Amino acid sequence: MKKLDISKLDVLALMRYDACTRCGECTSTCPTGGEAQDVELVTPRGKILRLREFYIGQYGLRARLLGAKEIPKEQLDELTKRAYECTICGQCKTVCPAHLDTIEMWENMREFLVANGLAPLPAHEQIIKSIENYDNPWMQPRTQRSRWSKRVEKDVRIKDALKDRAEVLYFVGCTAAYDPNIKDMAINSARTLAKAGVDFGTLGNEEGCCGSTLLRTGLLESAKKMALKNIDLFEKARPSLIVTSCAGCYKTIRQDYPKVGKVNAKTVHITQFLAELIDSGRLKMNKRVEAVATFHDPCHLGRHNGIYDEPRKILEAIPGLKLVEMDRNRDEARCCGAGGGVKTAFPELAQKISTIRVEDAERTGADMLVTSCPFCYQSLKAAIDAKGSKLRMLDLADVVGMACLGD
Amino acid sequence: MIQASVSDGRYLKDRASLYLLFLAVVVVFSVIVLLLPYETVYVKDRAYLGLFLATVIASVAVFLLGVLCNVLVWMRGKGLAGSPEGRLLKLVPKVIRFVLRKGVLRASSVFVKEALYLSKLKDRSVTRWLMHLLILGGFLATFVLDLIVTFSLDIVKYRPMIEEQGWAKMWIRDFGFDLAGSLMLIGLLIAAVRRFVLKPKIVRTELPDAVSILFLLAVVLGGFILEGIGIAGRIEGHQMNDVYSFLGYAFSRVTPNSWGQYYDQVWLVHGVMSSLLIAYIPFSKLFHMIATPIAIEADKTLPEEVAL
Repeated sequence: MKKLDISKLDVLALMRYDACTRCGECTSTCPTGGEAQDVELVTPRGKILRLREFYIGQYGLRARLLGAKEIPKEQLDELTKRAYECTICGQCKTVCPAHLDTIEMWENMREFLVANGLAPLPAHEQIIKSIENYDNPWMQPRTQRSRWSKRVEKDVRIKDALKDRAEVLYFVGCTAAYDPNIKDMAINSARTLAKAGVDFGTLGNEEGCCGSTLLRTGLLESAKKMALKNIDLFEKARPSLIVTSCAGCYKTIRQDYPKVGKVNAKTVHITQFLAELIDSGRLKMNKRVEAVATFHDPCHLGRHNGIYDEPRKILEAIPGLKLVEMDRNRDEARCCGAGGGVKTAFPELAQKISTIRVEDAERTGADMLVTSCPFCYQSLKAAIDAKGSKLRMLDLADVVGMACLGD
Repeated sequence: MIQASVSDGRYLKDRASLYLLFLAVVVVFSVIVLLLPYETVYVKDRAYLGLFLATVIASVAVFLLGVLCNVLVWMRGKGLAGSPEGRLLKLVPKVIRFVLRKGVLRASSVFVKEALYLSKLKDRSVTRWLMHLLILGGFLATFVLDLIVTFSLDIVKYRPMIEEQGWAKMWIRDFGFDLAGSLMLIGLLIAAVRRFVLKPKIVRTELPDAVSILFLLAVVLGGFILEGIGIAGRIEGHQMNDVYSFLGYAFSRVTPNSWGQYYDQVWLVHGVMSSLLIAYIPFSKLFHMIATPIAIEADKTLPEEVAL
């Protein structure tokens, strides 16, 4: 009989499984388990109870006295599939009255599933191979990573931070670097930084995937390798500040990298940096943007990192722009459906969730849906297009670009 | 597989140390329980008392064993070097040392605000917060009152706690217990109505959920029924100042006086059920009473250097 190896579950996570009061507060707001599917096993409570039942059956008192209970393979597979239907948005952490840090729990649960040979899902394998072989999840050659910068190289001087030390290292991230629909995020970020007179550079083609996808799918060891590689590059570049425009990269570099190595530079998300530039008067936004905008809080920026004010501060500082809030905002914001590898493995589910979020935005009467994460952007844009919504999807860097560069 | 990094000798030593410690705690508890005089326990048949005490000892032993087993499962988590038993033996003094040196205030404020007052639940649902607070508050108050009463009755033989007209008898033993029990009863009734009648969508009722709530209700209601029988039957200890036991008194109004003859049997049933409830805690959802405060404290109080 195969016994589950629970030595990959955190001690704190094991405590938290016991600490769950089964109250169900998490079930109604869970975007995948409660709202999009109404499947108990996908909800935080469902996953906690099922996994606990499995390992207690193998390690609890009864198991000590009478022997471990065998868990049918199909039940383990079902739990695995359901565990990967979670976007790790962290809404359950916000609402849990027992203060369970569910974000850590789900990431750790996936690490445990991988360690037990139950995961990753086949759908994630291609992405994982791509990251391991090409340093990006999009099966694109390394030489194309800095291609986006060609569009701005005439107006903006972007330093090669590995050759010419820059004060600020702009960590572009794979999606903004490779996805033709998101490239504007990188372009506008670079142009805005230049406009504010920031001494900045990038790692060019040397920049590697931050490893977020690997971490969120439970591949800790592969993620560690990516992290160490990037940390080594940071050491060579020696910036004072690392600025990321991807919320996923930000979470990974800020929260996860320090667990494997020392990052000497402070890491901030571009919204924090832009808010500071506006505050200090270095960045002037003097072009009017006549629009009503609503802001979607990316989970990795909001619930995972507590950044809610800065993006709003930036939007409110734009002349002519009116900011309206969705009913569910800040730490109660609905997820876009893309996180945790859901968009890759369960695209229909992801679209269902993103459509619900787009409907939230439509109810505000806004004509612009703004976010600050390439994954949220992709997901919400797809839902807007599929739905035929009149909303215009924009990244915050694009809106700032409109306000200070006039395009 | 897990113990690969430690020698068999070390592994056996860790296990033996922990289980000997467990055995010592059970033996000390048993000796204390058996040595108390129980002069103010008003059951006529001492065999009932003996049966009750045996159940208490067995239940507490099962409770401790259950808690220990659950905690040992935690100790199997990431970073394990050596046996779970050895890890627990090392961790407990380390945590106690840290809390005593640096974290008493922080640990206490986190415990009061998050584990007792349940501040986060209050923000989400006042009804559920009140329900939970009543059950938890009543449970803890009953436990504390039990300790105070046992100590003052059987160890220091404090007269005002023994005499029918004593202030402590009237206000602590009669009024105090009834108040704590009433709080718990109200909380449990709200929980039962919510779970079994209103059935909001987020509530999922499986056997462990139903058993936990019904078990608690049976014990609390059983206490009031017992008190009602005692007052109605004019059993010793229930002969004067009945109104201080306000809810027991109310029960006595609908209890025939003749039921007093079954007082000993009902007392035994109530006592055994209360003991079994304690034994049931580590194997039920009620274990969150222990695990949740520990998890909250571990999250909010312990720094990373006290690695779990």
